[in-house]
Order: sequence, then structure tokens, then C-alpha cells
Amino acid sequence: MGNELFLQTMRDPLGVPFYPIVFQGLSVMTFALHIIFVNLVVGGTIVAIWGHFSQHEWMRKLSRSLARITTINISIAIVLGVAPLLFVQVVYDPLWYSSNVISAWWTMVFLAVLIIGALSMYVFYLRRKGGQQRAGLFGLITICCLLVAATIIHALSMQALHPELWQGWIFGGTDMDTSGWGLHAIEIGRLFHFLAPALVNTGIFLMLYAWYFEKRDDVDMMELQLVANLGRKLAFYAALVTALVGLWWLLFLPESLSFMTDPTIHSGILLSLILIAVLYRAGRAPSQYALLCGLFSFLTVFIMTISRESLRMAYLKPFSYSIYDYPQTTDWGSTILFLATFLAGVGVVVYLVRIAFNAGRGEYAA
Amino acid sequence: MYPIFEIPVVGGPILMAAIATFHILPSHLATGAFWMTYFIERKAIQEDRPELLEFLKKFSLSILIFCFVTGSLTGVGIWFAATVISPRAISGLIHTYVWGWATEWVFFVIEIVAIYVYYYTFGKIAPKLHLRIGFIYAVAAWLSMVIITGILGFMMTPGKWLATGGFFDGFFNPTYWPQLCFRTAMMFAIAGTYAAVIAGAMKNGGRDTIRKISGRWGLGGLAAAGLFAFWYYHSLPTNAMENLQSIAYVEIMYKLAIVIAVVMAIYFFLLAIGQGRFVNVWVGSLMMVVLLAGVVGGESTREFVRRPYLIPGYMYSNQIIGHDFDARSISSEVERFNSKGLLASHPLVPTDLKAITEENYLKTGEILVKVECLACHTLEAGGRNSLADILDGIDAESAYYLLEDLERTYMPPFAGAGPERRAAANYLAVVAGGETGTADWVVAGE
Repeated sequence: MGNELFLQTMRDPLGVPFYPIVFQGLSVMTFALHIIFVNLVVGGTIVAIWGHFSQHEWMRKLSRSLARITTINISIAIVLGVAPLLFVQVVYDPLWYSSNVISAWWTMVFLAVLIIGALSMYVFYLRRKGGQQRAGLFGLITICCLLVAATIIHALSMQALHPELWQGWIFGGTDMDTSGWGLHAIEIGRLFHFLAPALVNTGIFLMLYAWYFEKRDDVDMMELQLVANLGRKLAFYAALVTALVGLWWLLFLPESLSFMTDPTIHSGILLSLILIAVLYRAGRAPSQYALLCGLFSFLTVFIMTISRESLRMAYLKPFSYSIYDYPQTTDWGSTILFLATFLAGVGVVVYLVRIAFNAGRGEYAA
Repeated sequence: MYPIFEIPVVGGPILMAAIATFHILPSHLATGAFWMTYFIERKAIQEDRPELLEFLKKFSLSILIFCFVTGSLTGVGIWFAATVISPRAISGLIHTYVWGWATEWVFFVIEIVAIYVYYYTFGKIAPKLHLRIGFIYAVAAWLSMVIITGILGFMMTPGKWLATGGFFDGFFNPTYWPQLCFRTAMMFAIAGTYAAVIAGAMKNGGRDTIRKISGRWGLGGLAAAGLFAFWYYHSLPTNAMENLQSIAYVEIMYKLAIVIAVVMAIYFFLLAIGQGRFVNVWVGSLMMVVLLAGVVGGESTREFVRRPYLIPGYMYSNQIIGHDFDARSISSEVERFNSKGLLASHPLVPTDLKAITEENYLKTGEILVKVECLACHTLEAGGRNSLADILDGIDAESAYYLLEDLERTYMPPFAGAGPERRAAANYLAVVAGGETGTADWVVAGE
């Protein structure tokens, strides 16, 4: 585009109210949490549909439970997604806004399919609960909607990483494109690498499910063992597939990004390998390894999220765009307001989750 | 400056308004419903009425689906719509209020966890503990309103922020308290309307009790909202009052809101005195639609009276920074564009379109009109606030003088150097089907 510094001129002149690195950190942290729940939604829906069409009674029962849990996970995924969406607009505003405007209608399609998908999941859950067997269609609608939404949000993120192409996308034709129907950047390897972990985390979730319920007296231990075994196998094989897809994607990344030498991706690969090893070992007694697998999976996702941020910075290097030199006007009052609320909020959430955790195990007298 | 998104005929603001208006229902319901829930659950425990708990189970499940699927997603939808329609405006808000939104997000997280724990622990934990969870939800939800109202009020009356740039100076702005009180009252009215729908779907049990409670809460909320609306009205700035009186559409919307308030008051009164047997799920839903129409009236009024600004005193409707903002050392873009040219200053305009020439004057004119006018207008005849209709048959020269005079109306001034104004005027003549200027006239003024 001639002027490599144009991104700086697009930054908001109001600046940021605190150190940019704090927004970056919050963005990474909340995105990691968000993507874990997105994984559970996508994977949970797939397993719930699978269970729905299964001949085994324990799978059908599992399908009902997963349908219910997935409705909860959808809401949590949406709310957790708000935070990274907010923070990315603070430090990467020129990228996010440009990409969104170019694909304006697709952002609306994204919202529409999410609403349809989430409501379909509720229909799937409530019909199954009511004993209606012809509910599978709604599960299938949900998964289709989720995949469309994933593709759109992936394309929006990728478009944001290619500022050098924006001008061509807008002014490339005979007329200026103001239609909002452009969807220009889809990288299959990266998209699959986001989707494949859905089954890894859902598999580990099933192991945790078995671990959680085996403490209750009124459960069928055989069924729980079947669930744990299914979860372990699913997680193990999906982790292998994820690793292979990741490798394939890495090989196709432009060399100019020097991403193969990035220490965060090395850490991510190391953690993935440890997770695969632990999942292999968990074959002996899946539910006993559930917490360990959950821990390593969380760490892997977290480090991979840092690595995703590192990749974004590599993409923006040719434009001399660094969030660390974003103009700043520190506002202590509002910063303290957030931090204090955040700490108090964590306390309240822990209190509520503890109640739910104990109630689910039947440890409260009604 | 960002790319442009154009919605032919309908216009971008309608997309924004459609999502934002709908969002009012689930968002206010999410904040108001659990105060009512808390009241009903306490009554159920004290009077040992399990049928009321059955209502609450249905009520909270429906809130879960309505508010935490459609409500959450339309909330995100407002962001997305604002992003694609007015990216610079939402950016300005976010860069000023990011910690406010982040604080609100913490309350969202508490809400979502609390409502799921509440719903799934019905009958599984001690009643008092369950009641406490409902209370935690109600407080967190209302606090999210306390936060967002500061940002909404700021968009109408930024107050001292214009002088200091401080977060709280804009947050506690002149319309903050009346708006917070108004929204707090309205959340009870919306919760009452919604509870009547769910009660209408019940076959027996506490249906009549719930209808009466709905009516009382609804009527109380609406009456209080009326008083606070009066306070709000009198705290509006002068330009907003002028808009209210001079723009016909705003006046119609304002009157619509008042008429619907009266209809809703009668409805709530009938429910409150036990004459609501006619209210089944269909009648209740119809009244929700009527209420939504009232919200459309109120929200349209709120949106329009701040014209020609998105952030009064700072950013015009077309996202151009209209005034110097000394607190952050920001200069007016109008003056910069008038001297250096808008096209030359736009980071995404290709080099061959930065200066107006005989070859590109039509294309550059189109870019200028789209950048400066699409925020409020459409180009097509028959479209919403259509330039083709408003300027019907105007010639390029007249359009040029019109652009010079925009400031006298409730519109932003045209920002651009000499030939840019002529290029825009020429394109307006094309749109309006009037006599266009020659290439020489556009480029050199001859």
C-alpha cells in the first residue's frame, strides 16, 4: 500500500487507559477460557449427536446429559467470548474494525447462526428430556451452525492479519466494495487446528464427568467406566490428529514469520506431547487420570493461546505495528474499579461453583 | 478512517436500531426478573406454596433461554453492528470505557453462573441458600445496568469529560441518574410483562397469584418510569430538545412511546386487581410486542436527539472528529480535511484516488459521499432518508452550495478541500438525477 505505517494512523486518538500489555494479557487469558468452552460446545454437540443415534442405552443416556451440559457451555462460551472481543478492540482496533467492516454481513450471519445453533441445542435437549426421539435433526442443525460460525470468525481473524490486502479487497474491482459480503482469508490448516481440539477437550471432559459422578452412591459404575474409557480414547486419538494437523499447518506458514523458532510454539508442542503421553497412560484407569489430563490440556490451550498472540505480532512486524507503543493516558480510577470488581467476582463465582459442585454430588440436604 | 459498509435502501442505522431495540427486552428482563423471583420465592417459602416454586422453575428456564442465548448474542450483536456501521464511534467509546465494559463483563459472568446454579439446584439445596443465589444474581444483574447506563448516558451528554477526558467525569454525566432510575423502573415493568406471559402458560396452581404480582410490579415500575422519564426529559441538553421539537420522526416516536405507556398501564392495572383472566400466553405475548413498540419509540427518540453527533461535542454522526479535544491533545479533523483533503488523509484510499482528477472525479465523489453521508442516509430513491429523494433533481452547483450550508441544520458540516466538495456535489447530482458538473468544474472550479 505504499505507506507501511498506515496502521498507526488508524489507531484511536483517545489512546488506551492503562498499560497495553495488561490488555494483551487479559485478552490472552480470557480467550484461552473462551476457546476451552467453545471446544466443549463443539465436541459436546458431536458426542451428543453420536449418542443420540447410538444403539447403546448408556450412550443415549450420555447424550441426554451432554445435551443439557452443552446448553450451559454455550452460554458460558458466549459470555467468556465477550472479554477477548473487548480487549482486542482496545489494542488491535485498526485490524479488527477493518476486517469486520469488509465482512460486515458475515458478522451478522455469525450472530444469526449462533442464535439458531444455540436455540436448536435447547430444542434438542428439551425434546430428549421429554422422551422424543426425533430430536436428532436439531443436534445436526446446531453442529452445522457452529461450524459456519467457526469459519466466519476464523476468516475475520485472518483478514485482520493481512492489512496489505485490504486496499485490494476494497478497491480492487471497478467499484469500491461497500457490500460487506467479502470473506477473503480462510486458512484451512489453522481452522482445523482450532476445531480438532474440541474432541480432545470433550474427551477429557467425559473423563472428568466419570471422576465427578463416581463418588455418588446412586450411579451405575459400569456406565461411568464406559464413559471414562470413551472419553480417554476420544481425547487420545483426537490429540494425535490435532498434533498432525498442527504440524501440517506450521509447515505451510510463511517462512518470513519465523514462527518455527518462536519459544512459545516450542512450549506448546512440548505440552501437547506430554498431554498425549498422559492420555496414553490414562488407558489403565481413565477417571483417575482425569484431573491430570484436564490440567495438561488447560496448560496446552493456554500456551497455544500465547503462541497465537505471538504469531499475530509476527504478522504485524512488517507494518511496525506494536501494541506496546500505543498512546496511553493512564486512568487509575477506572482501572481500580475493574480490578476490584474482578477479584470480588472471582470470589463470588468460586462460592457459586462450590455450591453447584456439592449439590451435584448430593452433598446438600434439600 | 475505516472501510465503509453500505446497506442499500434500508441504511445501516436501521440494522443497529433493530438489534439494539430488541436487546432492550432480554437485557432489562435479565436485570429485573430476579428481583421479582426473589420476592416470589420468599413468599413461596414463607407461605409454603410449592406451586409458586413450579412457576419459578419455568420462569427461570425461560429467562435462561431468552436472556442468555438471544439476549447475550444480541448484546454482542450491538457491538458487531456498531463495529460495521460506526467503527470509529464504538472505538472511541471502548477506548474511553474499556474498564467500564470489563467491569460489566465481570457481572455478566456472575449472572450466568448464578442463574445456572439457581436453576439446577431447585430442590437440591436448602431453600434459604437457594434464595441467596437468586439474590446474588439480582444484585449482579442490576450492577451491570449501573455500569452500562454510564456509557449510554455518556453518548447523550458527555458532561465534564469534554473538558477533562476523565472516565468518571463522563460516566456520571448529566443524564446518568435520571436514566439509571428510569431503566431500573422499566426493568420491573418488563419483568412484569414477561412474568404474565409465563403465568399465562401455566395450567393451574399459582397462576392468578403470579398475574396479580406481574400487574403490581409492572404498574409500579411503569409509574416510576413515567416520573423518571419526566426528570430525564428535563435534563436533556438544548440541542436535544431542539431536535425533539423540530424533527418530525422524533416527535412521532416520542408520542408513540407515551401512548404505549398508557396502554401498558391499563393492562397492568387489570392484572393487578385480579381482572387478568383473559391473559393467556398469546395475549401476554401480544403485550410484549406492544411493549417492544414502546421501546422502539423511546430508543429512537434517544438515538435521534443527539444528532448531529455520535459523541456530542467530539465526534459527528459520520465519525469525523468535529472539535478540538484539548484534554487528549486531539485536533478537529474537519479543519484538517478542509485544508489537506479527506481523501489524502484516508489511510485506505489508493494513491491514484488521493487527488481528484478528470479521470477519477466520479469515483472520488462517490467515496466522499459514502464516507460523509451513509451514516444517516441511503442513496437510492425510496430508501430510508434517501438522498435521491431529498435532493430530487438537484444540480451539481446547487449541491455544492448546499454542502457549504450543512452546519446550519442538525447535520455535520461537509469536511473536505475545495475540489472534494465539488466532487461530492457532483456525485450528489448523479444520485439525485440532476445536472452534473463538467470534469473541469469539479477539478478546477471552472
